[in-house]
Amino acid sequence: MEQEVERYRKPTRILHWVHAGAFTILFLTGLILFIPALGFLAQDSWTRLIHRIAAALFIIAPLIYIPLNWKATLRGVKDAFSWGMDDVGWLMAAPRYYFLADEEAMPPQDHMNSGQKMWWLLVIVFSGVFIITGLIMWAFKTVAPAALLEWMVLIHDIAFIVTGAMFFVHIYLSVIHPLMRPLRTGAWSSMARGKVSAHYACSHHAKWYERISKGEEIEHQ
Amino acid sequence: MADKVILYDATRCTACRGCQAACKQWNENDEYIPPPSDQRGVQAKSHGSYENPPDLSPQTWLKMRFTETENNGKVRWLFTRQACMHCTDAACVKACPNGTLYHHEFGFVAYNKDTCTGCGYCIDACPFNVPRSTRNLFTGIAKADKCTFCTTPGLDRIAEGLEPACVKTCPPKALQYGDRDALVAEGRKRVQTLVAKGYTNAYLYGEHELDGLHVIYVLDDTPEAYGLPVDPKVPATTIAWKDVIQPVGWALGGLTILGLGLNFLIARESKIKKEQPAKKEEPAEKEK
Amino acid sequence: MTNHWGDIANSDVVMALGGNPAENHPAAFGHITIAKDRGAKLISVDPRFTRTSAKADVYAPIRSGTDVALVGGMIKFVLDDIEANPANYNMVYITEYTNAAYLVNPGFRGPAELDGLFSGYAGALNETDGAKRKYDKATWGYQVDENGVPRKDKTLADSNCVFQILKRQYARYTPEKVNSICGTPQETFLEVCRTFASTGKTGKAGVILYAMGTTQHTNGAENIRAYSILQLLLANMGVSGGGIDAMRGESNVQGSTDFGLLFDSIPGYLGMFTDADVSLQKYLERVTPRNSDPTSANWLQNYPKYITSLLKAWYGDAASKDNDFGFHYLPKIETGKNYSWLSLFEAMGAGTIKGLMAWGQNPAVGGPNSNAERQALASLDWLVASDLWMTETMEFWKAPNVQDPSAIKTEVFVLPARSSFEKEGSVTNSSRWMQWRYKAADGPGEAEDDLWMINKLMLKLKELYTQESGPNAEAVTRMTWNYGDAPDVHKVAKEINGYDTNTGLQVDGFPNLKDDGSTACGEWVYCGSYVEPDKEPNAPVPGNRASRRDLTPDQFNVGLYPKWAWSWPVNRRIIYNRASVDLNGEPWDKEHPVIQWNPTKGETGGWDGDIVDGNYPPIAIDPVKSRYPFIMTAEGVARLFAQGMADGPMPEFYEPWETPVSANQMSDQLSNPVCKVWRPEEHGSVDKFPIVGTTYRVCEHWQAGQLTRNLPWLIEMQPEPFVEMSEELAAEKGIANGDKVIVESARGQVKMAAMVTKRFKPFQMNGRKVHEVGLLWHWGYSGLSKGDSANLLTPHIGDANTMIPEYKAFLVDVRKA
Repeated sequence: MEQEVERYRKPTRILHWVHAGAFTILFLTGLILFIPALGFLAQDSWTRLIHRIAAALFIIAPLIYIPLNWKATLRGVKDAFSWGMDDVGWLMAAPRYYFLADEEAMPPQDHMNSGQKMWWLLVIVFSGVFIITGLIMWAFKTVAPAALLEWMVLIHDIAFIVTGAMFFVHIYLSVIHPLMRPLRTGAWSSMARGKVSAHYACSHHAKWYERISKGEEIEHQ
Repeated sequence: MADKVILYDATRCTACRGCQAACKQWNENDEYIPPPSDQRGVQAKSHGSYENPPDLSPQTWLKMRFTETENNGKVRWLFTRQACMHCTDAACVKACPNGTLYHHEFGFVAYNKDTCTGCGYCIDACPFNVPRSTRNLFTGIAKADKCTFCTTPGLDRIAEGLEPACVKTCPPKALQYGDRDALVAEGRKRVQTLVAKGYTNAYLYGEHELDGLHVIYVLDDTPEAYGLPVDPKVPATTIAWKDVIQPVGWALGGLTILGLGLNFLIARESKIKKEQPAKKEEPAEKEK
Repeated sequence: MTNHWGDIANSDVVMALGGNPAENHPAAFGHITIAKDRGAKLISVDPRFTRTSAKADVYAPIRSGTDVALVGGMIKFVLDDIEANPANYNMVYITEYTNAAYLVNPGFRGPAELDGLFSGYAGALNETDGAKRKYDKATWGYQVDENGVPRKDKTLADSNCVFQILKRQYARYTPEKVNSICGTPQETFLEVCRTFASTGKTGKAGVILYAMGTTQHTNGAENIRAYSILQLLLANMGVSGGGIDAMRGESNVQGSTDFGLLFDSIPGYLGMFTDADVSLQKYLERVTPRNSDPTSANWLQNYPKYITSLLKAWYGDAASKDNDFGFHYLPKIETGKNYSWLSLFEAMGAGTIKGLMAWGQNPAVGGPNSNAERQALASLDWLVASDLWMTETMEFWKAPNVQDPSAIKTEVFVLPARSSFEKEGSVTNSSRWMQWRYKAADGPGEAEDDLWMINKLMLKLKELYTQESGPNAEAVTRMTWNYGDAPDVHKVAKEINGYDTNTGLQVDGFPNLKDDGSTACGEWVYCGSYVEPDKEPNAPVPGNRASRRDLTPDQFNVGLYPKWAWSWPVNRRIIYNRASVDLNGEPWDKEHPVIQWNPTKGETGGWDGDIVDGNYPPIAIDPVKSRYPFIMTAEGVARLFAQGMADGPMPEFYEPWETPVSANQMSDQLSNPVCKVWRPEEHGSVDKFPIVGTTYRVCEHWQAGQLTRNLPWLIEMQPEPFVEMSEELAAEKGIANGDKVIVESARGQVKMAAMVTKRFKPFQMNGRKVHEVGLLWHWGYSGLSKGDSANLLTPHIGDANTMIPEYKAFLVDVRKA
């Protein structure tokens, strides 16, 4: 049995799946307003109700997680906003790494590689954007000035497009890209079971693996 | 042009509100009593004006506006109708995500209430602030409504070759229905007559606005005096949303998926190529 | 109306004075639109700027109750202008068709000499003794020659001729006086004069549209007389685009007055029978106008034919020459006694009248002095009320000031009625057009139409009187009443038209009615409306001319539509139309002729166009056979000077009973010297109530509101009653738009929303500022939409001639609630 390393604790995984699930529902119900041919699905406005239920989940899940996991939250947020030359290194190596599967080309990555960090930052920022613009539309639809509501729609839509595109990338990189396989020991497993194989940890997050192998306290995320 | 319009002459209109009642009666819209109602039963409050109800609503598609003005001691009481203007360059049609709002063959803006998702983008976009929706603020379930130019399904007067209910009712002949060219010409003529009478600000509203409205107003004063927006435009945000963001979104999403597909093919190939020499070497290592 | 709705489109100037057509007759405003399209000007004279004023070319404000002063001022303007520019007026019309040239008794004195009174007054100035508040009209008569024919001076120079008397009377009505009485700015007033006087030119015509703003005053009838004088001086009577057009307030109220629903007339505006008429002959002697002038047709000399035919219609075979045609069956009123609305309610309150039937009537809201009238209802033994919804009258014990409903003994019977689309019959509009209507639907529940109800009632009464007898039983038992058990409205209509009692055939036109009992006719002016089928075969109901809907234009294309429905009398569309032609029978207005003499017609010539008003040749062509054009007056010409009025042969300005001024600017006679003062103790003084109050309507509601206040779409448009006031008054009282205010008079108080508006301005009169407020009166305590009744404020006093209550000018005070 190959040695395994814990990457994500249960609370984090629950938050991820609830938030991701909510996002997926939000994305799909929002897509109906984006693709006219799907418009019929929104006819009886059930999708608007579902969108709001998912939105509530989207807001409440992190609100519950944060006070109960404030250390991890702080660490995570700090990570999201820490950018430096290492990230440039990732960027330079990314085409060879992701297209040509050239693992040697990629410099050692930390708990999150720069790509993951980028997605994480996007999630934090755009969640905020979605929540603010969405809540304004939800609560103040009948009272806010039309111009304000129009801007809310526009920004919400831009956020949808950007996060939507990145959402495809995130899913792809999590479960489809050859370098993140196999599912049982790779990226999927990190969020599904919380663990990855040591081999995976070593090859994908060498910097982090080196720290925890030295016996430093495992940074639970 | 096959387009048909309503010509509304504000100088003939006496604000009797026969049109307001006829619209409700024909389209089977209820009275809308804004809260709070007092204990005297079906009662709305007077707010010191003849203008009741005070606003359009999902059940009030047409109402009259009353404006008192006074210039040099001369009092005027201006009447104008407030309802969907049925624009050619309609912001609501542009903003509507799923084609619920669309242009009728005669040029009016009609809508399919069944497909309306209640998103309310039409309300936000309309430069005349016309559509209104019923809305459950909690669930978000909503439907928008506005003047259908009497093309309401099941109650479609236009399809039967009839004029809209408001036009039919109008006692002082302030409303007419007919071909756009003919009625624009008639409107121009009336404006000229008004100017000759001394109404130097007389104006034909709707001839050019938003590429032409399908409700044209003969005014004896400026549009501002009548509470109408001067040079109304489709909001920039609506244009950005529909004409820019949507295509960009499609492009980005499409390119992303394409890119990812391409990436998969290339990366898998590359990984296989990399593993083949390793596989060849493995047996050697195992031997070690 | 002397003319008709569609004719308004032919006018050069339309003056809405004491009426607000955009508000209350919106359907008819289309005709004004056409007139304006053709270049006509619209004048609006009103205490406040109304929806009509918004469409008018000229707006003039006027303090409520001062119309005689304003119109008197217009008359002076025209009289002066006739002197200065006679070419702008039709002097032949004035001299030949009116009594301008007639000489009046030299003993006649007018208000110019008698400080506001006319000669023959029984009392003194500002007389309070009711017995003395009347005129002996001996000095008001014409001078006559040895044959009894009135003497005339066609040069209009004799100081006793009507024209000169008129000049003396109105010389006092200067623009300054108009301004100080009415509050109308002089320049605006003169603009009204100039605009309307322009219709005096031959070929131009102006029409006056009026309604309750003119009539609901203590001198309401004189207001109308003032219009008549003005229109006659401008030669606007009988011509297309001219006329004095009453805009009736209900679709069939013209029909109701045609059928004698006023106490002093019987169907066809014939005089009511009094106890002084001991026989038919005596009655006819009293009512039939006498005339000695051979050139006057004096059409009402035919009274005997119409009365006899009426009695034959009512009593059939029980009426014959032998028994005075059943004249003694008829109930009679007491000579000189007042049975008008006000007196009826006073009598109810006093317990003299025990029962009341209110058919489609809501006195608890629509009558003046609501507290008094509701109290009167509470004094009745029984009340029968019929309407479409529960009304305030039906549940008068629910009125706000009733302390103890259980103390009220009145037994109330409610008869649910059908609406106009749920029954068949005719409706006669303001234009005198009788239009037949059909039933579209059944009424709900137990609702029945009025004919069914009255038929059943009458049959039952007949049965009871036959079995049990009673006072005056024969009036009922001898009546013919053959409309069937399920009454046939066509039978009624045919009887109204009249038939030959020998042959049973319908009579075609009242010239064919007889006084020997061979004809029966329920209403002589309607004779010709329902003839034999072969006489009108193409009508939707053959023979029923009211059912015609043929839009063939008239010969001269002036919008008469002679084949649409049927207009009384004898389908004449513009009455007095022989005044529209000169002495040779040629139309004054070549472009809009009403009639025209056609020498080639028939044997000796005839008239083209409208049904001629008296089939006589033009006077210049046949002086012997011809007759003067105003055939309904005894003397045959129109009256600038009218002896028949109770309060004066010419309109004289008096203040309303409750007036904001302490003195009448025109004379020392403060208010109308003749009208009956019922409740002097309820006179509000200007110290307590300094503001003029008036009542009026809105387009969205109708009369006492028993229909419209039950319709949600209309309630949505006008949800509650309001009182309109000027921004200046609101500022003085600290009232903001929409605030609830209390309006109080000497009779009661109401609470309403305030509508603060630019459309009311304080009146500046002779250095004094007078405020006026206007209240909507449609509301009451019943129905879907409830509110206070403005008539709680109005007084129990009425016009000197018609007794119509003075709803339009009284005194109030206003304060924030």
